[in-house]
Amino acid sequence: MGKVFTGFGYWDVGAWIIFFVVAAFYVLWLRYQGRSDYKKGTEQDEIYWSGNETPEDGDGLTVPASSAYWGFRKALEPFYDRLVGMHTGIATDILGFYILVTAFMAAIILFV
Amino acid sequence: MIKLEKYMEVFPKSLWVTTCNSGSCNGCDIEIVATISPRYDIERFGMKLVGTPRHADVLIVTGPVTKFMTKKLLRIYNQMPDPKAVVCVGNCGASGDVFYKSYNLDGPVDRIIPVDVYVHGCPPRPEAIIEGVAKAVLKLESLRGEHQKVGEGQ
Repeated sequence: MGKVFTGFGYWDVGAWIIFFVVAAFYVLWLRYQGRSDYKKGTEQDEIYWSGNETPEDGDGLTVPASSAYWGFRKALEPFYDRLVGMHTGIATDILGFYILVTAFMAAIILFV
Repeated sequence: MIKLEKYMEVFPKSLWVTTCNSGSCNGCDIEIVATISPRYDIERFGMKLVGTPRHADVLIVTGPVTKFMTKKLLRIYNQMPDPKAVVCVGNCGASGDVFYKSYNLDGPVDRIIPVDVYVHGCPPRPEAIIEGVAKAVLKLESLRGEHQKVGEGQ
């Protein structure tokens, strides 16, 4: 009950529950070690944002991937343009690519 | 309160320091970097530079506090947990130095936040900065005593 045999081993629900309980124990224990004497509701309780007021909007808190990887994207532009050109956004196409790539990799693993 | 006292007990062993450049020319900041680098190495004394005021016991401020930095400096000070001490490094932070008549200053530092130790020099040598931070320990020690008294009164 709760066990799935994969042929290589098994996946057990009970083992995972035990893992999460143990992990949660350590996470909560680490959290408990932190200081709890902050003055709640004051600026001591807020995120440090280099001295600036913490932005309310989540967008202000994150750097979009397009900014972080700008140079990377620019350098590989021909490659990305081709990928974007192939991308139709239709789920069956994506699944088709997935199956083709998996089949290609399986052929390499099995025959090379 | 018990929790706070528990941390106060370990306080003298280790001091975490954060810095704020409130408009400095960077001269003092370079000396602070020298202070943490191997030649002077403040970690020998259990001191450590941390990246956020929320983990810090001591705030080192450089620069004469330009109008742009006033609110930021105040916020950084307010974000530090109690008890805390402020060390003003360099002449600019102490008096404004050559910029004292500038239209663009709200400083010196003690007009914005309470300063406990002044380290003079333009820029001060790392030995002086270490001495300044060591004096901040004394201030924190006295605050520790006060907190303990408050704890006993409750």
